[in-house]
Amino acid sequence: MTDRLSVEQQLQAAFPTLVPDPPSGNNMMRYRLDQARLPEIARYLHGQMHGRLALLFAVDGRPIAQTYELHYLFAVGSRQPWVLLTTELAGEHRLFTSITPSIHAAQWYEREIRDLFGLIPQGHPDLRRLIRHEHWPKGTHPLKKDFSWDTVMGRQQGNYRFRHIEGEGVFEVPVGPIHAGIIEPGHFRFSVAGEPIMQLEVRHFWKHRGVEKLFEQQLLTAAVPLAERVSGDTTIGHSLAYCQAVETLLRIDVPRRARYLRSLFLELERLHNHLGDVGAICNDTAYALPHAHCSRIKERLMQLNDRLTGSRFLRGVMCVGGVARDVDTKMLAETVNELNRIETDFSELESIIVANASLTDRLETTGVLTERTAWDHGVIGVVGRASGIDQDVRRDRPFAAYDEIPVNVALYRYGDVRARMRVRMDEIHESIRLIREIRHNIPTGPITGEPSRSPHHGEWALSAVEGWRGEILYVVMTGENGQIHRCKVRDPSFVNWPAIQWAVIGNIIPDFPLINKSFNLSYAGNDL
Amino acid sequence: MFRILKKSLKTGVVTGQHPDAIQPSKPLAPEVREKAAPFKRSLTIREVDTGSCNACEMEMNALTNPVYDVERFGIHIAASPRHADALVVTGPVTVNMERALKDVYKQTPDPKLVIALGDCAINCGVFKGSYAVTGPVERHIPVDVRIPGCPPRPVEILKALADIREKQQSSGK
Repeated sequence: MTDRLSVEQQLQAAFPTLVPDPPSGNNMMRYRLDQARLPEIARYLHGQMHGRLALLFAVDGRPIAQTYELHYLFAVGSRQPWVLLTTELAGEHRLFTSITPSIHAAQWYEREIRDLFGLIPQGHPDLRRLIRHEHWPKGTHPLKKDFSWDTVMGRQQGNYRFRHIEGEGVFEVPVGPIHAGIIEPGHFRFSVAGEPIMQLEVRHFWKHRGVEKLFEQQLLTAAVPLAERVSGDTTIGHSLAYCQAVETLLRIDVPRRARYLRSLFLELERLHNHLGDVGAICNDTAYALPHAHCSRIKERLMQLNDRLTGSRFLRGVMCVGGVARDVDTKMLAETVNELNRIETDFSELESIIVANASLTDRLETTGVLTERTAWDHGVIGVVGRASGIDQDVRRDRPFAAYDEIPVNVALYRYGDVRARMRVRMDEIHESIRLIREIRHNIPTGPITGEPSRSPHHGEWALSAVEGWRGEILYVVMTGENGQIHRCKVRDPSFVNWPAIQWAVIGNIIPDFPLINKSFNLSYAGNDL
Repeated sequence: MFRILKKSLKTGVVTGQHPDAIQPSKPLAPEVREKAAPFKRSLTIREVDTGSCNACEMEMNALTNPVYDVERFGIHIAASPRHADALVVTGPVTVNMERALKDVYKQTPDPKLVIALGDCAINCGVFKGSYAVTGPVERHIPVDVRIPGCPPRPVEILKALADIREKQQSSGK
C-alpha cells in the first residue's frame, strides 16, 4: 500500500488536479485524461519517474460507445502498480498527439495504431505504413469494428520508401523476406560503406495473420489454442498470459498446485529455448561442436516435454482456471533426475565454450546495445538484462508460483553478444534450480478452479508473464455473451526488434546473423 | 582439446535415439512418385515460411540435430530455392507473403516437389478465414506431399521425407 501511495503521491505533487480512478482488481492506477494533458503527463512519468512505456494500445468502443480509447501503460519501478493513462477520441475525431518525439519507445505502437485503427498520431516523425504493406488497399484498418474479420482484401500498387543514405561508396544490401536458413520471413535493408554497417532498416510484418482480430471472434474460454499459436516457441508463455487475463475477468482462484505446475512448464519452455540459442550463437561463429551438443540436449528436453504432456511444445497444457494435465510425483522425480543429468552435461559443455578464446573474441564487443539505447526503446527480457536493464516479471510482479519460489535475476552490463549468451547460460542453471524447488514445495490438491462470476461487457484485465524472451503482455476485454471484444497481444519481440537496428551499427554484415541470433526475436509474435 | 575429446567420447552416438512416429505417414500417390524419380536417392529441400507460428520451423531445425541427422538419408537443406529439388512450405499463406511464395516457386528449377508441412499449410489451421490469410498453400502453388500435425514431430517429417526417397529406389529399378 505504501508503494501505491508513493507513486500516486509523486504524480499528485506534480499534477495537483490529477485524480486516479477507484482501484480495480488489476494492480494498477488508472488516470482518465483529456487528450491535451496526456503528452505532458506521459513525459513526466517517463522522464522524471523513470517509467517504462510497457504498452500503448487502442480500443474501438463500438457498438457500446462511439469512441476510440487510447491506453498508455507505464511500468514504474519494481513491485509497484502499473500506471495507466487513458484518453478518448470521440465521434469523428481521428487525430491524436504523438508522444514519440519525447518517448521513443512509442514509435512502433503509434504506427501500429494508425495501421489497424486509422487513427493518426500527429507529430510522429515517421508515418510510413508498418503492418499494412504497400499492396493493402487504402483505408483498410482491420481492427475497426466495422471491418469484417473475413474480408477478402484487394491489391493496389504502391512502394515502400526505405531510408536511404547517399554518398560515394555507399551500398544498399537487401536481405529477405526469405532467408538462407530455416528461419521466419523478414526484410533487412543494410546501408554499408565498405564493411561496417552504417544503417539497418528492419521491415517486418510479412507474417501478419490477423491474430488480434481472430481473438475477437472467439469466446473468452475458447481462445487458448489460438494464444498457443501466436508464437510457437513461446506456447506456454502466451497461453499462460492469456489464461491469467481471463481468470482475472472471471475471478477464478487458481489452485496452488496448478500455479506450481504453470511455473514448471514455463521454466521447461525457457530451458529448451535457451539451450537452442546458446548452441545457435556458437554455430553462427562457425563453431559447430557446441551447436551439435546443445541441439542434442535440446532434443532431450523436447522429448521430456513429450513424455510429460504428450506435446513437444507443451501444447494443450494450459487451460482457463489452471492446467489441463497433472504431473504425478513419479514423473516429477523423473523430470528432476533428467534435468540433473542435463545440468551436468551442460556444465561440461559450458566450460568448453567459455574456454574458447577465438569464440570469446568473436562475441565480445559485437553488437553492443548500450543501456541508454535499450532504455530509450523500452527493451526487455534477455536482451534487456544483458544491457543492464534489471527487469524480470517473475520478480517484479510475481505470478504463478513465483511469489513462493523467488527468482535470482541474471544481469550483465556490457550489452554485447557474449553478455546475451551469458544471461541465457545463467538462466539455464536458474531454471533447473527453480524446477527442483517446485518439486520440493509442490502442494497436492486440485488443478483447476471454477469461475465465480461472469464479467460485464466492457470489463478488461491485464496480465504479464515473463516468457523466455521477456515480458509478454495480454489485455483482454469482454464483449457480449462471453465473446472477446478486444485482445491486445504484446510479445517482447515487438519492443526489441527496433533496438536491433542500433545494436548492429558499426559492425560488419557477416556479424549480423550472430547479433540477430543473440537477440533471437520472434517474427510471428511480432507480426501477429 | 582433451576436454572436447572426453566430451565426445562420453556422449557417444546419439543418432536414432528418439521415440517412433505415432501418426503413420500416408503412402505417396503414384504420380508424385514418378515426379520425384529424377531426384533418385537424394533430395535437396528449401524451407519457406509463409506465416507459421514458428513451431514447424523449430521441428525442421530439429531434423538437422545429431539425434535425427537428416543428412544421413541424403536429404540436404539448401540456402536458395535455385538449389532445391523440393520446397517445404509451412504456415497459412498470409497476404503479405503471397507474392514471395509465388516468386520462390518460380525460382525453383523444374522438376520440383512441393511439400506442405503442418496443419496450417494444409488447411490454414486456427488462422482459417482471417482477412490477412489468403488460403492454404495449394491455393497458390500445386502441392504434392502433405505432412499433417501441429506441428508434426520431427520423426514424422523424417519418415515422410525418407519415403519420397525410398519409394524412388523401388520404382527406379
